[in-house]
Amino acid sequence: MAGALSSLKIVEVGEMVSAPYCSKLLADMGAEVVKIERPKVGDRARTRGPFPGDQPNPETSGLFLYLNTNKRGVTLDITQPEGFEILEKLVAGADILIHNVTPPEMDRVGLTYARMQRANPKLIMTSILPFGLTGPYRNYRAEDLTIWCAGGVCVLNGGGPEHPELPPLKTAGHQAGYQGGVHGATATVAAAFAQLRDGTGQHIEVSVQESIASILEMTFEYWPYMKMIATRLGQKPLQPVETMQCKDGYIYLCCIEEHQWRNFVEIMGNPEWAEMEIFKDRLVRALNWDALRPMLEEWVSQQTVLDLYRKAQAKRVPFAPVSTMGDLLNSEHLKARGFFVEIAQPVAGTHKYPGAPLKFARTPWEIRMPAPTLGQHNAEIFGKLGMSEARLDELKRKGVI
Amino acid sequence: MAKPPLSGIRVCDFTWVWAGPYCTLQLAHLGAEVIRIETRTRPCVTRMLPPWPDGVFNSLNKSGYFNQYNQGKKSLSLNFKHPEAKEAAWRLIKNSDVVINNFAAGVLEKMGFGYEEVKKVNPNVVMITLSGYGDTGPYKDYVAYGPAQVPLSGLSALTGYKGFPPMHAGFSYADPNAGVHGAFAIISALFHRAKTGEGQYIDMSQWECAMDLLAEGILEYTMNGREPERNGNRDSLMAPHGLFKCIDLPEKILDVTIDQWVAIVCPDDAEWARLARAIGKPELANDPRFATLAARKENEDALEAIVSAWTATRRVAYVVDTLQAAGVAAGACADSKYLSEDKHLTEREYFVYREHLEVGKRQHCGIPWRMSGTPGEVKTAAPVLGQHTDEVMTGLLGYSSAEVEALRAKGALD
Repeated sequence: MAGALSSLKIVEVGEMVSAPYCSKLLADMGAEVVKIERPKVGDRARTRGPFPGDQPNPETSGLFLYLNTNKRGVTLDITQPEGFEILEKLVAGADILIHNVTPPEMDRVGLTYARMQRANPKLIMTSILPFGLTGPYRNYRAEDLTIWCAGGVCVLNGGGPEHPELPPLKTAGHQAGYQGGVHGATATVAAAFAQLRDGTGQHIEVSVQESIASILEMTFEYWPYMKMIATRLGQKPLQPVETMQCKDGYIYLCCIEEHQWRNFVEIMGNPEWAEMEIFKDRLVRALNWDALRPMLEEWVSQQTVLDLYRKAQAKRVPFAPVSTMGDLLNSEHLKARGFFVEIAQPVAGTHKYPGAPLKFARTPWEIRMPAPTLGQHNAEIFGKLGMSEARLDELKRKGVI
Repeated sequence: MAKPPLSGIRVCDFTWVWAGPYCTLQLAHLGAEVIRIETRTRPCVTRMLPPWPDGVFNSLNKSGYFNQYNQGKKSLSLNFKHPEAKEAAWRLIKNSDVVINNFAAGVLEKMGFGYEEVKKVNPNVVMITLSGYGDTGPYKDYVAYGPAQVPLSGLSALTGYKGFPPMHAGFSYADPNAGVHGAFAIISALFHRAKTGEGQYIDMSQWECAMDLLAEGILEYTMNGREPERNGNRDSLMAPHGLFKCIDLPEKILDVTIDQWVAIVCPDDAEWARLARAIGKPELANDPRFATLAARKENEDALEAIVSAWTATRRVAYVVDTLQAAGVAAGACADSKYLSEDKHLTEREYFVYREHLEVGKRQHCGIPWRMSGTPGEVKTAAPVLGQHTDEVMTGLLGYSSAEVEALRAKGALD
């Protein structure tokens, strides 16, 4: 059985995370993806690592290898007219073009939907852009951190009222890129569904800033509804929902409902202090967190993570370990579900990677091939376009491929 | 202009709280008819959470949280203590293309609406369960709450200030992440169904969806056997790369200072030189302490002190305008007020204002993409509880008005 999206042909012009994650989601469900990279240097994710043995090598960057599974790779300089013509030929044979070429660069190379549509009238073109294609920030210089902040999420995280001097804190990794990627994939596959029905393509413009502003929990609405601002310096509305240290690691205490607190008190052996008026409900526990915290810290510090996690879950209290990477790789649950997948790549060797975000009963999520080495499929892909070896040599000399 | 992409697709929505409703919000954005099954005996948690217009909880319909993530959906209120209510749900299931829930594994089965049963009346349905831990494995019955999924996923272990304990993401990040991955999965399954006629079941774990966002941490471990160190806002290949304090907002809210920060990133020496010029210290570009990435990483405390000294006496807007004009990646660390008034989002008409039965027109976040051929839109404000019960019962589900009244009198429609 082939993947759900095995009939789709995609061309990707993607750097770093957003567009590559978008097309990876489709590729892992069966779509055929040809990834275009800049000649010689390739995708910037090739510089990011981690690298096996800490030896930087563009062919062994963990981030690149993860984000580009199931893709074939070519090198092509689309800023040169001959390179752009080849892009148009590739697009002519595809259903979808996914890119994150920034708006100023799109202007410079002439990458517009109208022009791409001349090459392929039914094309879907997905442009994943930091701030979208219109508006005053259209041409802003942006990096993952600045976009994460622009979306309104970074302001929520940090040292809390005890440490106002510590800045708002980014969540680890390239989270703006991932959110742009998965929101982009959702709109793209919907357009592919419409393309089946209507026989027409379209241009999808995804704003990464807006993708992040769309996931702010209730915090954005505090302003329009109550003229309040959620900040890392405010008190939490209820407690305990906090990380604490055990003997052998950290656990996340999570008593959102009152019965969860009562069950936690039982697990602690019903200490007398827990009956005090100042801890009687979740709201006053938040107001008196200064008093409650040391009590909990002392008890939790004598526990082990897994033991407390299991005791809590046995009473339907949603505690969770603060998982280290080792915890994840060794988790009996994740092993039983087969989450991590081994991928062999000729230069980097064989390593375990994060696997399927979803399990389809009928159509598989699968790794058919590892990420491409730089220009690995030039001969195959350009050969299919009818380009002779002599022509390829000429383009190589000109730095087009 | 063509119809929205998911026009004609009907979703029977058993979801609640955030992950599931965020999933079906995407489907509504894309034109699907989403019918939420709710009950007054156990209302959606977010209907009881702030913010509320007057700061007071006096209605199940006024929460800004619920009203954000349920735009464009219908609400059908059923009380499953009555078999007649279950019968109504079955009629909806029969007439739906997608059935979705985010209960823990097994809960929907106990209610009688498991995939094996659903398949009997609707063989080609696409059905998904977005549970915390997935449908299988030794922890499948564990309870998962949004905020606990962030530390569980491994994101917390990687996030934090240098030398400090693990930190959170500041919100229940794994919830919307699972929701949007779920929407992608559902539409992919609909695509497969359109090609082959086959529906299918999708098992989705919020935990696993979140681990797909931290490949760099996981690969550091699988490639080099090492737990990555937490390093605040810094980056190994870019400097400066951080947040810098500007002038606070003049007013406090609930006695809390609203401090203002700007993010600044220089991925290469050229951008650093532009930053140095923009802050009036062009000589720093060639200063041996800062001229190369290696030097800037070596002297990062001093580097950050210089940039901080410049931002500390300025307002965010000035800093951002000045640095962007110089070609430096800089941007506000936006809070809700900043976003609400953001000229860029406003000009792009990102925010939507739809008339709501109890709270009127409020500013809500809209759709993060624009589609040229099949534009979607936020059709309506979020429903009040049971707003569409009569419409759905007498329309789609084929009950007469008299039958609906009788069911209501019994308490089956609460």
